[in-house]
Amino acid sequence: MKTQRVADIVVGCGIALFGILIIYASTLITSGTPHKLPPQTFPMVVGILLLLCGSGLALKSWAIRGVDFTIPWPDGEGVRTLFVVIASIACYIVLLNRLGLPIASFLYITFSIWYLKRSKWLLAIVISLITAAISYFLFIRLLALSFPAGPFLE
Amino acid sequence: MGFSFDYLFQGFSIALTWQNLFWAAVGCFIGTLVGVLPGIGPVSGIAILLPLTTVLPATSAIIMMASIYYGAMYGGSTTAIVVNIPGEASSVPTAMEGYELAKQGRAGPALAIAAIASFVAGTLSVIALTFFAPTLAKFAVVFGPPEYFALMFMGLSLVISLSGRALLKGIISMALGLTAGLIGQDPLTGAERLTFGSVTLTVGVDFIAIIVGLFAISEVMINVEQRLSSISKMEVKSWMPTWTDIKQCTGATLRASTVGFLLGLLPGCAPSVTSFVAYDVEKRFSKHPELFSHGAMDGLAATEASNNATSTAGFVPLFSFGLPTAPSMAVLLGGLMMYGLQPGPMLFVQNPDFVWAVIASMYIGNVMLLVLNLPLIGLWVRIVRIPFYILGPLIVFCALVGTYSVRFQTFDIWIMLLFGVIGYFMRKLGFPIAPMVLASVLAQMLETSLGQSLLISWGSPWIFFTRPISLVFMVLAFLSIGRGVWAQIKAKAPEVVTDDAEY
Repeated sequence: MKTQRVADIVVGCGIALFGILIIYASTLITSGTPHKLPPQTFPMVVGILLLLCGSGLALKSWAIRGVDFTIPWPDGEGVRTLFVVIASIACYIVLLNRLGLPIASFLYITFSIWYLKRSKWLLAIVISLITAAISYFLFIRLLALSFPAGPFLE
Repeated sequence: MGFSFDYLFQGFSIALTWQNLFWAAVGCFIGTLVGVLPGIGPVSGIAILLPLTTVLPATSAIIMMASIYYGAMYGGSTTAIVVNIPGEASSVPTAMEGYELAKQGRAGPALAIAAIASFVAGTLSVIALTFFAPTLAKFAVVFGPPEYFALMFMGLSLVISLSGRALLKGIISMALGLTAGLIGQDPLTGAERLTFGSVTLTVGVDFIAIIVGLFAISEVMINVEQRLSSISKMEVKSWMPTWTDIKQCTGATLRASTVGFLLGLLPGCAPSVTSFVAYDVEKRFSKHPELFSHGAMDGLAATEASNNATSTAGFVPLFSFGLPTAPSMAVLLGGLMMYGLQPGPMLFVQNPDFVWAVIASMYIGNVMLLVLNLPLIGLWVRIVRIPFYILGPLIVFCALVGTYSVRFQTFDIWIMLLFGVIGYFMRKLGFPIAPMVLASVLAQMLETSLGQSLLISWGSPWIFFTRPISLVFMVLAFLSIGRGVWAQIKAKAPEVVTDDAEY
């Protein structure tokens, strides 16, 4: 998938397959009460649209030769950084319910700032503490929004 | 009951009492904060503060609630422009243009134009509200399900212009957005769809999670990958827009105010729809359509103007018929009823002091918001110069808080992350993002109005072509689609990352 043409062919085929999945899923929908617009109609139409446009994209890209572009994918370090960023957000979400918003935010922000700029660990702790305090006093205490406070701050 | 200057002057005399001025100022300030802070939109902002206003007289309380509402619409543009987090669907076009301007070192002029366009549109809409409220309210009730469907269908046809030259990719993006919007229960029959047996998916996918993921999270990923040191390294030369900017935006603001106000009269036609329509109209009118998605000041002005015009227009059906046009309006309706006020045609007869005081306070509130927001621009502009290793994690924090606070479900933040990753790949592969957002917002409204229309017509689709208003919208939609398809057939170019469709 280094070039736009190849990427469009691959993605087009993937979208077409996804369209088939949606069409199949729409056949599983049970109608219940009769209606002028049965619940499976829209998903079926969208599935067909995905199938047609995905195939169209793949075919069009396959047919057009000569003009092509290289996609600026990240290098090895870029991929590693991206992976760490996504994984850290996933951990943040998991920790949110277990440790609560303030502590999860503190851990996430400390780690992220430290990871993106190793030399700034003290700054990372200060900013994380401020964010954790704001998230607790503003969102949980003052506005009484239903964020998990965590086992230590309940 | 029509307009009377006596009533308006009486309204001003009430709105200008120190007590009401104070509560309007408090409302504007809180509203701006509600708009800027993640996690509390106008609906939750008003809902949280509603019980606290019971100590106030009815007029002061509703003046404060209304100020919070339009203050939040005002403040919502800030995060969209500065850090690319559109907290509401209506701020998506603002983010598309405003964030590009911020990256070019023009966050200050962008914020100022957003404030000025909001002020102009807000004031013009209040004038229209003042003189024509009872008359305009009739416009709302001639809109039945067929007209709504035709309007939504026309809205969906905007995908053509939002896709630039990558039409197939735009339609795929739209279809993926529709798919996301269809997950959960069918709005008409309650049947489960595309849930694959998952109980979690039954509640559906919230479009705020989709928007925040596609914009904020994917932006963080792109910036991290490119090892960006800050969003903009450019020296901020001026915080104020140039005369050229103002001249360029004047027509856009006036056009978008009209579009936003007229569409805002319709129940269910939220700012999320009108801002896209106004943005598309402006792209067609603009002398520089190629600048759209690359930092077009007139595109930004159009979006913000329509946003605020729609918010103000919503008071027409609310006061005249008790019809809330948006969730925030429904909360305001609850506030009115809490004070024993029954919105409807008799409100103007039985409580003229109240109605006209609230309308008069909107003139004052708009001036207050401008005075409050312009000096703050210097503060917001500094955000784009914060090193990205600090700003990036804080953007994720804001995105998470904002998404979670809509329904307080962890599932929504997983969806946000998923769409962040999808948004990253869409940007890399040249898929426009805006059609997906538009489709996910419109999906349920489109399907509901179609189902209701078919019920009325006993299953005949001709209902959309036999009623004049729906016919006009359908013709416009088909013309837009035909034009796009024809342009696509003529252009024998690959579906590449196009200059005019970065999002």
